[in-house]
Amino acid sequence: MSEIVVATRPTPGDPRPYLFPTFERSRLSNGLTVIAVPIPGRPLVTATIVLRNGAVDEAATHAGATVLAARALSEGTKRFDAIALVEAAERLGASIHAEAGWDSMSAGVEVPAARLEPALDLLAEMVAEPTFPPPEVDRLRDERLNDLLQARADPRRRVDEAFVDTIYTADSPYHRPAAGLRGTVEPLAADDLRKAWARGMDPGRITLVVGGDLDGVDVAGIAERLFAGWRTAPGVVGASSIVAEAALTSRLVRFIHRPGAVQTEIRIGHPGVPRRTPDYPAISVMSTILGGLFNSRLNRNLREAKGYTYGAGAGFDMRRAAGPFVARAAVNTEVTVPAIREMLLELDRMRTEPVADDELRAARDFLIGVFPLRFETPGPVVGSIAGLVVHDLPDDELSTYRARIEAVSREDVWAAARERIDLERAGIVLVGDADAIEGGAPLEEFGPLEVLRDQDPPSG
Amino acid sequence: MAIPTVRFTDERLPNGLRYIIAEDHLAPVVGVNIWYAVGSKHEVAGKTGFAHLFEHVMFQGSAHVAKSEHIALVQAAGGTMNGTTWLDRTNYFETMPSHELELALWLEADRMGTLPDALSQENLDNQREVVKNEKRSSYDNRPYGTWNEKLQAHLFPPEHPYHHPTIGSMADLDAASLDDVTTFFRTYYAPNNAVLAIVGDVDAADARRWVERYFGRIPANPAIPPLGDLSLPPTLGGERREIVEDRVPLPRIYLGFRAPVFGDPAFDALEVASQILAGGKGSRLYRRLVRDERVAQDVVMFTLGFIGGASIAAGWATVRPGVEIERVEAIFHDELDRLAREPVTDDELARARALVETDELGALQRVEERADRLAMFATLFDDPELINRMLDRFLAVTPAAIQAAATAVFRPDNRVVLTYVPVTAPGDAAALDAAALDGDEPTADEAAA
Repeated sequence: MSEIVVATRPTPGDPRPYLFPTFERSRLSNGLTVIAVPIPGRPLVTATIVLRNGAVDEAATHAGATVLAARALSEGTKRFDAIALVEAAERLGASIHAEAGWDSMSAGVEVPAARLEPALDLLAEMVAEPTFPPPEVDRLRDERLNDLLQARADPRRRVDEAFVDTIYTADSPYHRPAAGLRGTVEPLAADDLRKAWARGMDPGRITLVVGGDLDGVDVAGIAERLFAGWRTAPGVVGASSIVAEAALTSRLVRFIHRPGAVQTEIRIGHPGVPRRTPDYPAISVMSTILGGLFNSRLNRNLREAKGYTYGAGAGFDMRRAAGPFVARAAVNTEVTVPAIREMLLELDRMRTEPVADDELRAARDFLIGVFPLRFETPGPVVGSIAGLVVHDLPDDELSTYRARIEAVSREDVWAAARERIDLERAGIVLVGDADAIEGGAPLEEFGPLEVLRDQDPPSG
Repeated sequence: MAIPTVRFTDERLPNGLRYIIAEDHLAPVVGVNIWYAVGSKHEVAGKTGFAHLFEHVMFQGSAHVAKSEHIALVQAAGGTMNGTTWLDRTNYFETMPSHELELALWLEADRMGTLPDALSQENLDNQREVVKNEKRSSYDNRPYGTWNEKLQAHLFPPEHPYHHPTIGSMADLDAASLDDVTTFFRTYYAPNNAVLAIVGDVDAADARRWVERYFGRIPANPAIPPLGDLSLPPTLGGERREIVEDRVPLPRIYLGFRAPVFGDPAFDALEVASQILAGGKGSRLYRRLVRDERVAQDVVMFTLGFIGGASIAAGWATVRPGVEIERVEAIFHDELDRLAREPVTDDELARARALVETDELGALQRVEERADRLAMFATLFDDPELINRMLDRFLAVTPAAIQAAATAVFRPDNRVVLTYVPVTAPGDAAALDAAALDGDEPTADEAAA
């Protein structure tokens, strides 16, 4: 049979050298930073404006204001109402968007290079001159409140919310979603959004990143015309200090009961590490082995050996402060207990014994090899450079990435696992049918058990 | 804004394997995409879900590749991969650093040639459980997760193979045997039933030599059974309505219509119409339902293109709390009717065209997408050159064509209305643990996590 194919696996050819695109920084007269990234042959250009105000900078009582402010940027500006703005962008074939997360607010556009200037003109108008019309702000706020209703009914979103609420102290912003909760979103009004936006309006801390085929495009000149007039808004604040403390001092199992659920959503973890951490390469390799690759320990065990799940994984959400470390899976209800047992076993095994050489090699080779694939088009290149800006990382962070991953040793991986995974203080948070799991008793082998029974979602 | 022409070669091996090569040396990346002309439409009653379960088995090893080793080798080479199953076809793809292309071709050839050599009951049972959990994750335990299955069931008669969803039924999956797997493989997984596209940083002469070396001796199957006549009346012949109780906080209306087949110019017109109706904040339905009247939380309109008799045009809107569902439905219908009543404006069409153009430019930047489309157009239409003509076809859609397509498709006697409502008593929807706004359009079922 097998003579119809070639038995011997081919050996790879010589890799073509790859360098992350080089980029140049310049500053406009008002201090705004411009980064141009020439990527020849890519006529669809991506441009992003990064403001340094994130959801992490807002008061707990106004949680969600920054995310909502970003959504409201396109709802009206000095020159345009919302419809005029979106139609003007569409005529350029430009999709304009704005969003905010924990660490920044950003607005971006993808547009053919020939129409970059008019598209950037609209983008600049949107970022610098928003009017936050109250009727539109009210609508966006109501949409967020409706979205929160929907989140309550979605097992995945429900478990993610309950997980961060379990593992972070109540005074940490990370214990809530970046877009806020019912009680904090309900009172938000136009003025709150304006304040959230103004916190970032400091040209000295704003960066424009433009990537694509910029041949014949005078990025600096365009930026000077469109952005140099920006002035610091009253109410600007610098980076705030962030509370990211663990709430748990010992293991806790929290089970959110949903009668009749056919699967249990499982999250196991605790606060992780900030993005700026010296062992970033070792943590990357470690979490790739644990829960990043298809043949990661978690997926190989829970999916490919046991068939408990469609997919299991783990990772660190690295933010300006310590975002969560989480291992995750959705398993059929009957195997909930053995699945948690296997997940804990795999997490513990990372800590108690060094990884095998072939696992280390596979993870490093994957991260190094897939790096050029990630940056085939301007969008991800611009996005990653914007990430450097947000986290105050050096300009050579991306060009040295592969060498730093290559240098990670078994000892580094083991040390990262021992230092960064803590099963004694892990939260185990579940959304599923608690009644179907043998009266709930077996779950107590994992730690003290709390069962929460959600009321049925309120009806529309 | 001209979109760069994709230049390619289009050849066949003596065993019937069609292979398409397109060089592009911008990035050190190459995409491999192999389409097999077999999908869930080839399944018979009692064996639904089989094409997709089989796709999972394709990652369980072959004569020279161990279980899970396919993915391990691709990832260790710095590549990504997956497989997808849909009604008309199944495909497998790898995106590789260019110096690892040969590995991807060897892996695809090994499973095309020798899959049954490594087949075991244990691996089949394991993947059956994985697929059942995929069904639980992606359909049963998901927001409004049954809508696609219900639309297909209403829009296509029981004897038509589009009547059942790709994921199939759990009972049928349980009944699948090793013999079934082997028979399916020997019937459909033959070089003369496949198209292989290779796009990116490759020397075409090298690629051709490797295709011949690795695939050249795999025997053809001269007896691939033809599919029966899948043609359908162009319209449903009456409105069908279903109220679905689900544990969702907000009601949602789904509208589904029987539409012309993918490849018909009227289908292109419906795609442009979808953009005008609900493609972003400037669109008609978004403005009216979400922004102006504020009766809906969101609105979506899209097409699902199939080649066997009819496609689907569909949309949904999530009803805001306190709003009568009937009101949202009435406005939705009114906007669809308006598209049939009067031509779209020149400005609307110009904006839609500009956005379609940017979307195409963005999509075609990536070697993976180009390989997928070349294989798709060759498999479905025997015409890979369509990759260079699709944009012109979209740009050629006129107001009259949109009006004609809307008149033919958006008719009361051609529609399905699914109304998802919150359950009234707890426990009523025991099997349907509710979920939320995902905004995902349905995609082909995938093998890897």
